[in-house]
Amino acid sequence: MLGKYDLSTIWQFMLDRVEEITELTLEHIGVVLLSLAFASIIGVGIGLLVWNKPISRSFAVASTGVILTVPSMALLAMMIPVFGLGWVPTVIALSLYSLLPIVRNTVVGLREVSPAVMESATGMGMSKFRVLMQIQFPIAWPVILTGLRVATQLAVGIAAIAAYVAGPGLGEYIFKGLSMLGAIHALNFALVGTLLIVLIALTFDAIFILITRYTTSKGIRA
Amino acid sequence: MSIQAAQDVSTSYSQPSGRKGKFFTAKRIGTPILIVVALSALLLFLYTRGEPDSIEGFALNWEYQLARIDEHIRISITAALLVAAIAIPLGIIASRTKSRFVRGFITSFANVGQATPAIGVIILLALIIGIGWTTAIIALVLYGMLPVLRNTMAGLAQVDPFVVESAKGMGMTPLQILFRIELPLAVPVILAGFRTTLVFSVGVATIATFINAGGLGETIVVGLKLSRPAVLLTGAVVVSCIALLMDWLAGLIEDVLRPKGV
Amino acid sequence: MPKSNNTSGASIELLNVTKQYPNQDQAAVENFSMKINPGELIMLVGPSGCGKTTTMKMINRIIEPTSGSITIDGEDVLSLDQNTLRRRIGYVIQQIGLFPHMTIAENVSVVPKLLGWSKEKTAARVEELLSVVELDPKTFLNRYPKQLSGGQQQRVGVARALAADPPVMLMDEPFGATDPITREKLQAEFLRLQESIGKTIVFVTHDFDEAIKLGDRIAVLGPKSKIEQFDTPARILANPASEYVSSFIGEGAALKRLALLLVGNTKMGAASKANAKAGSVSVSDNLREALDRIVLAGGNTIGVQDATGATVGSLSIEQISEALGADVSALGK
Repeated sequence: MLGKYDLSTIWQFMLDRVEEITELTLEHIGVVLLSLAFASIIGVGIGLLVWNKPISRSFAVASTGVILTVPSMALLAMMIPVFGLGWVPTVIALSLYSLLPIVRNTVVGLREVSPAVMESATGMGMSKFRVLMQIQFPIAWPVILTGLRVATQLAVGIAAIAAYVAGPGLGEYIFKGLSMLGAIHALNFALVGTLLIVLIALTFDAIFILITRYTTSKGIRA
Repeated sequence: MSIQAAQDVSTSYSQPSGRKGKFFTAKRIGTPILIVVALSALLLFLYTRGEPDSIEGFALNWEYQLARIDEHIRISITAALLVAAIAIPLGIIASRTKSRFVRGFITSFANVGQATPAIGVIILLALIIGIGWTTAIIALVLYGMLPVLRNTMAGLAQVDPFVVESAKGMGMTPLQILFRIELPLAVPVILAGFRTTLVFSVGVATIATFINAGGLGETIVVGLKLSRPAVLLTGAVVVSCIALLMDWLAGLIEDVLRPKGV
Repeated sequence: MPKSNNTSGASIELLNVTKQYPNQDQAAVENFSMKINPGELIMLVGPSGCGKTTTMKMINRIIEPTSGSITIDGEDVLSLDQNTLRRRIGYVIQQIGLFPHMTIAENVSVVPKLLGWSKEKTAARVEELLSVVELDPKTFLNRYPKQLSGGQQQRVGVARALAADPPVMLMDEPFGATDPITREKLQAEFLRLQESIGKTIVFVTHDFDEAIKLGDRIAVLGPKSKIEQFDTPARILANPASEYVSSFIGEGAALKRLALLLVGNTKMGAASKANAKAGSVSVSDNLREALDRIVLAGGNTIGVQDATGATVGSLSIEQISEALGADVSALGK
């Protein structure tokens, strides 16, 4: 199979399909960002609510962990009878998957704030809500951002499978490559799809690292 | 910076249970209950909806399901064991190098690997080597290496250097220290990585159906292609339960193998 | 220690305050009663586990009392909203607890901001306080806690507690986490500060010498915060109420008492060259230093000089011990 393949054709291959590739790339980024937006709001929200309530906390972490254990194909499949194909099941599944890293990191970050800091804040007359938002949250921010970063990487990878439920993104190219098994461009399709997804993931990662750097207070930067 | 990133990701994803000795936690009891409830609900659903039609009948019978389950478990466990056999020694060697270059290279490689979609790896390999069971195993091993490799390195790194120093001072050889001190202390972290790999394998093995490696993914795809939600759900629920079961068993093993006092 | 003339402090009264934790059969604090006058610096001294910190923390309800009443300036503490209460009490804990993600300026500004002070007023106050605790505002305003040494962090902690000018301050071993040299400096500065502002302060320490150095009155506490003796340092040293209190004082009680007495306040002898052979002490030195110098030089007397350096008298060992009202041979028991 490899004998028939010529790597130099890949550049021309991409140029010929620039529009389609751009569209798929933007779709892929879009579906990840959308899912992440939902997951962040819900996940951080859950974290803020349960961080100091042991039972709710372990339930939240355990259930989001269970979701993550479920194979992505299975979760996507289970969405279909209810939500059909396309964007909707994809976004829902990606958001659900992204919850664990976000919830767990939010909880861990909030709990790891030093007891001395907590006590002096309470002792100064800050209400519990103020302490949570003005003291704990900023200190926990780098940890929460890491959770968001991990979630994003997960989402980028899983979005690739969404193509089999007619979902958006570069997964389409990968599956196209599969369906064209034996044809000249099969490998090109799969390779371009895969490499671009890797690129998206790494770029997101780099962006997150920059965001972490610039939004973390100088006082707590390692 | 990427070293920090890799550490962040690995510790955030493959963390040892850290339950500090509590054997019966919510997750420990809850998971089997969840599995039983899910499977019972599925069976109830299938039996009360009446006879499966001719197309469904192909998939919704015990023979077919058990065969798929068997295939699926075989692939997952084989891959996971292979991963352990390769990645742990590799991790040990990697953690021993003083060279920052090698370490940086491995971590960058791990970073890229983490960013690669499983489906991409599988299909690319299939296009190059051909479809089938072997390709699936290779893909699963390649993809599953990361958690174990990274956690082996992290696990060994977190062993208290003073403990190692006192072992050295007692006259233990490096190999003795490795096997009697470092590895046992690193076991919780390594096992957490193994657990992640196992769950990954179950998940990725589902995708292996696309390259004719069988497994429960086939049930799902058949259900999807032929618009039979019952079949689709059966495949999805069963494979989810298997994944949960593996995670639960791995958690048990983690607790059993963890050295007392750690 | 001299009480300040201008006091901005409030009075505090604790009546039969008890703290009982549900899972323990002994109370942590039992029937604690104490009246504190405005502007007083009260030291709570005792071994670890006696409940002194718990008692202090009940005043601002970081720990809620199980029974009993606590009033500040007549107002029942337990009926007030917790946060309102705490914004009127300066709180300094042993581990300091500076907010790591805020600059020093931001840290000190927290309570003023909570109380709604204007930006200008807050900024001015922050600068003033940093100078008071001897941290150059220009250098430290925009630094972060992790850039400061332990002693510097402790000072910021005190400045932060003083920010909104509260009438009451609670301090739990505030100088505990520093080395002896820094601690002495901090104690001296703190005394100077208290002299000018005169707040009501409840200060917890396990170091009896610190208690003597700083306190207007000292409460020596036993298990469950039982008050073994509550009196001025001088009187506790002269008349310990029990074996327990004596054991706290430790060796050299009389010498410690001498440290509390100033040369200038003691009946002196005539000024003469002969008496000044061993050298001189100043009127602002304490009697222990004077005795120390006499012993070092040999002989019996030492000269006394005033602030200008003019010799104004002399001091002999007898005169020193007369000041104590004790016999020299009993020294060092």
